[in-house]
Amino acid sequence: MESSIFLDEVNERQALFQRRAFLFGGLAGAGLLALGGRLIQLQVIEASRYQLLSEHNEFEFVLSPPPRGLILDRNGVVLASNRPDFRLLLAKDETTDVDAILARLAQLVPLDDAHLSRLKDEINDAPRKAPVAIVEDMTWEEFSRVNVRAPELPGVTADMGEVRVYPFSGAFAHVVGYVAKVSAKDVTATGPNADPIMLNPGFRIGKQGVEKAFDLDLRGKAGARKVEVDVKGRVVRQDPRGDIPPTPGSPIRLTLDSDIQNRALDVFGEDSGAAVMMDCRSGDVLCLLSAPSFDANQFVKGLTAAEYRALAEYERKPLFNKALTANYPPGSTFKTMVALAALERGFDPSRVFVCNRVWNWGGRPWHCDHAHGALDMRGAIAKSCDIYFYQTALAVGPDHIAATARKFGLGEIHDIGIPGQKPGLVPDSEYKRRNFPKDPVWHAGETPSLGIGQGYVSVNALQLCVMASRLANGVTAVKPRLVHSIGEVAQPSGAQAPGLPFAPEHLEFVRSAMGAVVEFGTAARYAQLNLGPIRMAGKTGTAQSHNYTGAAQGEHGAHGAWALRDHAWFIAFAPHDAPRYAMSVLVEHGGFGAEASAPKAVEIMRVALLKDPEIRARIVQPVPRDDPAVGAPT
Amino acid sequence: MTVSAIRGPGERERLVVKLTQIDWTLCLLLTAIAGIGVVMLYSIAGGAWSPWAGRHLILYGLCFVLMIALGTVDLRVWFALAYPVYGLGLLMLLAVAVVGHSTMGAQRWLDIGPVRIQPSEIIKIGLVLALARFYHGLSAARARWSWWLLVPAVLIGAPAALVAHQPDLGTAVLIAATGGLMMALAGLSLRVVGIGLLGLGAVVPAAFFFALKAYQRARLLTFLNPEADRSGAGYHIIQSEIALGSGGMLGKGLGLGTQSQLNFLPEKSTDFIFASMAEELGLLGCATVLLLYGAVIFVTLRTAAIAHSHFGRLAASGVTISFALCVLINGAMVMGLAPVVGVPMPLLSFGGTVMITMMAGFALVLSVRVHRYSEVTRG
Repeated sequence: MESSIFLDEVNERQALFQRRAFLFGGLAGAGLLALGGRLIQLQVIEASRYQLLSEHNEFEFVLSPPPRGLILDRNGVVLASNRPDFRLLLAKDETTDVDAILARLAQLVPLDDAHLSRLKDEINDAPRKAPVAIVEDMTWEEFSRVNVRAPELPGVTADMGEVRVYPFSGAFAHVVGYVAKVSAKDVTATGPNADPIMLNPGFRIGKQGVEKAFDLDLRGKAGARKVEVDVKGRVVRQDPRGDIPPTPGSPIRLTLDSDIQNRALDVFGEDSGAAVMMDCRSGDVLCLLSAPSFDANQFVKGLTAAEYRALAEYERKPLFNKALTANYPPGSTFKTMVALAALERGFDPSRVFVCNRVWNWGGRPWHCDHAHGALDMRGAIAKSCDIYFYQTALAVGPDHIAATARKFGLGEIHDIGIPGQKPGLVPDSEYKRRNFPKDPVWHAGETPSLGIGQGYVSVNALQLCVMASRLANGVTAVKPRLVHSIGEVAQPSGAQAPGLPFAPEHLEFVRSAMGAVVEFGTAARYAQLNLGPIRMAGKTGTAQSHNYTGAAQGEHGAHGAWALRDHAWFIAFAPHDAPRYAMSVLVEHGGFGAEASAPKAVEIMRVALLKDPEIRARIVQPVPRDDPAVGAPT
Repeated sequence: MTVSAIRGPGERERLVVKLTQIDWTLCLLLTAIAGIGVVMLYSIAGGAWSPWAGRHLILYGLCFVLMIALGTVDLRVWFALAYPVYGLGLLMLLAVAVVGHSTMGAQRWLDIGPVRIQPSEIIKIGLVLALARFYHGLSAARARWSWWLLVPAVLIGAPAALVAHQPDLGTAVLIAATGGLMMALAGLSLRVVGIGLLGLGAVVPAAFFFALKAYQRARLLTFLNPEADRSGAGYHIIQSEIALGSGGMLGKGLGLGTQSQLNFLPEKSTDFIFASMAEELGLLGCATVLLLYGAVIFVTLRTAAIAHSHFGRLAASGVTISFALCVLINGAMVMGLAPVVGVPMPLLSFGGTVMITMMAGFALVLSVRVHRYSEVTRG
């Protein structure tokens, strides 16, 4: 029996409940309608705005680095190019346990302790937000091994980049330079508008030579890949239609000739010095070598501290570009300038001075290395007599000598596009007035030293090569040109230069005297080309590397400890009768100029001459043939 | 009313007859919603049954059978179990307060052997039963306004306070609101209801500054201005709105919702499943689901209205209230109209305990309908 004890109230309770339930149902329905209204607002009225926001979430543009421009020699031989590089990137955030990841990586790819500690520094130093390339240049096997184990390496992604490669490793290291990783300093140095590509992992910028000077041309413009990313920024898909292709860097063609430059490096071996060759008609620099050199590819990879120390502390200083920065007195090569200045001042070249090895003037003895006897100017140049030029210089005076030397490019920084040249010094009375406030006068006693290219005067190999080129050219003050073209844009030729304000017959006199140097003078034993009618003209020079003390004065420091020996110069041009190639060679601490430098000049010059078809035609006489049919296949 | 099937006394007690009395419309509606949930969970897993869709389907299937079975249980049994279930839920809430399992910084779980139980879900159904039972024996006059109403106030206040202490503010509010609305449906004076609402309006700001924890305060503030904290607490709301808005009229298509597929949308399988669905199925899908929810509310409320027993009325309406509040709160939260609180979308969201208690609630509604002509004694 079922019954309620509140039967009288049942109807009242039920009616009340049903009214209230109806009310509640209405409220719930209103709530649902409100939700529907909000949905219409979001999904219909503001849909386009949210669709845009969703795409911003979904897609990201990842910079794709442009291929770096090639660097070529005059004939199109590649001096710097790019090769594919399998590498691993680490995207770090606050939670990354770098040590653990590196430890796990070390089981997959060879990583020694030195490498590991350097990596940790690099990861710490890397600009914020930029992924770090932690392993590069992996073999395909290593690359795939890491790829398979990727889930165990959070934050590590494998990718294929490009890395710079220098096929001739050392020969062009100083001129072409090298690229290396971007440091935080590089980024701040470029100011607030730093190219974002600089933060790209493994991106490298030019740090030396042409790579540095023309970095922006070579770099090109970064493109972008449109990728779909998840909330953690991992790439889920690529969208090739949205890609913006990168603009490749412009190729840069240099005027250098790789055959000549490579031969020059061979010829130097472990000797320290520089060799510069120019086409004396156009000013094109065919060779710009500094020796000993280093492997530029090592810098691309990154040197360990020990490797860098080994290079930096080696006494023959492989890291310096000696062709531009090793400034020394020109020694006897400077006598060409003294002679020309004298001729221009009306000095009679047939005038004879007698050399007895010692000449007393101004209350002190002045030495020569031989007792040359009676010499006219031609003989004095050929035999490189100091006593003759002490007196000639005194007759001309420092200011005229300096003015002549400057016209030939000494004391000047030549704009060949790459930085790091030292101007050297061509002294005159003005120089003394300006720089020696306590003794602002040029003393006559300082002139004889200048006459033999010693004392204040200092030059580098490039300047001496310019001097030799202008002497050989005879008409135009050619300017050196290193960069042939950037992209399609040719750089102005060095031949577009003002004329040389010297009498042609005086220049011809100096040239023929330089011919005599090789013919019977100081370089006769060392500077024979052995190319038939093609002969070289030149001038030897020896620069004191330090002041000789008392007893040794007048002796050339040709022997003894390497670091104490003299620097050997040789300038040359060939063919002597119709000059095309001019060069300068410096052998640091090489001793006597002719012996150390001239043979190197010969070897390098031979390459240039033998490559020149017109010169070859002069050397190789056609063999007369009786019957052209003989030997032909039947 | 269709009573033609009834031929004689005791006829209604036969199982076969009971099954014919099951509200199959409600079953169909619930299955449709759960089915959409399975499709969405399959889609956001990248087109895979694991980890969500398969388990959701199996759980719903089991719960469905359980629901039908419980739906045939005599309403008097439910009546008898009302206080025990409530008492058990309250005890478990107390246990959680002492040795609960901490998830996301809140003590909400209780491990009993291999089973992990969320007592706040059990108390939801327990409270509905207990209130229904209490009001079953209360006259309309007393239900309107009397000292007797201290009993339901305590019945509601005790679990709400314990859940708020966990802290799970969303569920606590849900429990309090369910209880409050049941009191209103049971006949609480509308004047008192109005005064109560005004009182709440005064207490809430005070509670905001003195009773809430820092993260709860931050959530509320973030809700008011999500742009102020884009990557932190505002992230949920912004990403959810982007998911909804970018869905547009017809949606991006199943499996093509970038917001959920790429994990920009947090809690995409649980609390924010509605946003996942809105993104992939658009306004069309959302409107369909809201209509289904509305239909469920209508059908269950109608069941409450036609029940002969006051216990049945209140029990069915209590389940409806709890369900409707869940839907409205979750919907408002996902659409950026309410602060982010941990209230799931019933049947759509993935989650075990919620599904079980929700289906148990509907079993109660089914039982009310099956036994709608029964009078339930007071004792």
